[in-house]
Amino acid sequence: MGILEEPIKEVKTLGNYIGGEWIESEGNIIDIVNPAPCKVIAKVPISTKSEINMAVEAAKEVFPEWRRTPPLARARCLFRLKELMEEHFEDLSRIQTMEHGKTIDESRGETRRGIEQVEVATGITSLMMGYNLEDIAAGIDEYIIRQPIGVFGIIGPFNFPFMVPLWFAPYAVATGNCIIIKPSSEDPISQVKIAELADEAGFPPGVWNVVNGGRTVVSGMLDHPDIKGICFVGSTPVGRDVIYRRCGETGKRVIAQCGAKNFLLVMPDANLERTIAACMTSFYGNTGQRCLSGTNLVVVGEGLNEHEYNTFYEKVVDAFTNAASKIRVGYGLDESVQMGPLRDKSKKERIIGFIEKGIEGGAKLRLDGRNIKIVGDWPHTCFLNPTIFEDVTPDMTIGREEIFGPVACTMRARSLDEAIEMIHSNPYGNAVSIFTSSGKWAREVQYRVQCGNIGINIGVVAPMAFFPFSGMKDSFFGTLHGQGREAIRFFTESKVVIQRWF
Amino acid sequence: MEEPNATASAVISFAEKLEDDLSKFYEELAEKYIESKETFLAFAKESRKNKALVVRTYRETITDALEACFAFKGLNLSDYLAKTTLTEGVSYTDALKMTIELEEKATKFYLDAAERSKSLLATIPMAFRKVAENRNNRKLKLKLLLKNLK
Repeated sequence: MGILEEPIKEVKTLGNYIGGEWIESEGNIIDIVNPAPCKVIAKVPISTKSEINMAVEAAKEVFPEWRRTPPLARARCLFRLKELMEEHFEDLSRIQTMEHGKTIDESRGETRRGIEQVEVATGITSLMMGYNLEDIAAGIDEYIIRQPIGVFGIIGPFNFPFMVPLWFAPYAVATGNCIIIKPSSEDPISQVKIAELADEAGFPPGVWNVVNGGRTVVSGMLDHPDIKGICFVGSTPVGRDVIYRRCGETGKRVIAQCGAKNFLLVMPDANLERTIAACMTSFYGNTGQRCLSGTNLVVVGEGLNEHEYNTFYEKVVDAFTNAASKIRVGYGLDESVQMGPLRDKSKKERIIGFIEKGIEGGAKLRLDGRNIKIVGDWPHTCFLNPTIFEDVTPDMTIGREEIFGPVACTMRARSLDEAIEMIHSNPYGNAVSIFTSSGKWAREVQYRVQCGNIGINIGVVAPMAFFPFSGMKDSFFGTLHGQGREAIRFFTESKVVIQRWF
Repeated sequence: MEEPNATASAVISFAEKLEDDLSKFYEELAEKYIESKETFLAFAKESRKNKALVVRTYRETITDALEACFAFKGLNLSDYLAKTTLTEGVSYTDALKMTIELEEKATKFYLDAAERSKSLLATIPMAFRKVAENRNNRKLKLKLLLKNLK
């Protein structure tokens, strides 16, 4: 099968989009490399503090005017943005594959998820409404209004370069705020493309800004008194120890969605064929670089005797291994490919480090992804095949820490209680799924498990745009979450008015 | 032999090409066999609509959480490849027979793809079944044309 046409034809240096203008950065320039062919596809600046300050000034200046713009008029900008995204759907998707490495199906899925956020935010005229009550005392009425706050910073991760900043941006601007997006410096092209479309959609200059860069830009956002809140998606150490802490110190609102170690429980009554299909996407989709990826596959022997349990465990692990070993790995623009490369070489090396730790820790390596087998003649630099460890325990490094790659750890639990204990012994609380035909077991998990997103016969528990993207424990820091109504609350201040007329 | 495992992207591209090829094929038939021109042109138009329906449904359904890369287990696209060019000097009867065979193969592709993905890809299998139903109506019309010749 051939390679789909690449939309990026020449290497360009990306600019910053500040105050409605494309501005060349004075910062250092680094390469953006397509991880499959290992070719440079763009160059991105590491912007300076003065550039982030310039963006804050532009956003702050337009805020009063944008705030006064009727919500329906703000929604119309989003309607136009959505139409432009639909028009450019294929190019936007292929760009994600080129800059990140994911398969074209995954990229199109990401594009769709991003567009859905814009679609939901167009409902701002209903979403932003307050509420009221007459006669809270004789002749006195009370009502609540939602008001925008000012300028927000959005710090995007590398794993979903298109979608994740859109968990926040459409809601922020729909509610009358202004935004500055700092895309991941590893794959910033998608956000630059979105800014081009936002410009075309007619957002007033300064409402939607993009400043490329790294730590300097992040620090600039965190320290700036005119940035009222930060939305961050990334690792737990940065989210907790830098973003959440600094936002607390500076009095900013914060959403910090962080790392994960997600458990998938397979019960004896699960539909195995469908469970395995769901597990392939869960463990190996996006090459495991997803905070909702399955990482620990727990085979639960509730109600089985020892012999039955061992037979069941072998059956599940065999089916899982068999399916994983057939995954076609290669360049994501090849439509036959089911898993792309890792984002870069250093990520591959980090994951190989985990595989080595797994072996040293005593886990059995059932499928070794270090034996690279790919479709097409691409350098092996960033590729790793699916890997499976067997008989992993929750205290092993690979069973405990976030690997963020295509490595599955299979575990044994004799009962559902034991499986839930395993989950709770882990510091993360992003997603847990149970595969079962039993409503009782499913409800037990839904009711008892301390984690933000629960899947029942679902491999990737990705909330739709009109629900919050939840998270608990070390997977989330903040109060309100991104997406839907919670995002509306995050981006607005609730003002109470009590009125009496003499 | 290893079981094939087509991705959603590959299946949709296959459907797109299939409808493009059939649309051109019917336009060619319409030019050659004037007696059924209207019917063939209607089929060509319907193929273009089928393509639009399939692509639109895929793009509006696909998400990063669906099992898109693993949904068509056992579907071997090469089983549904068909020649859509008319042989020089082919009779109207033989052309109709060939057309019915093409439609049967296409119907089988859509039904097989729908069956394999029904629990994984939400509205995509529904769209496939709708296209397969359209094809059944076509086949009836083609068979009627053939019967009227005899």
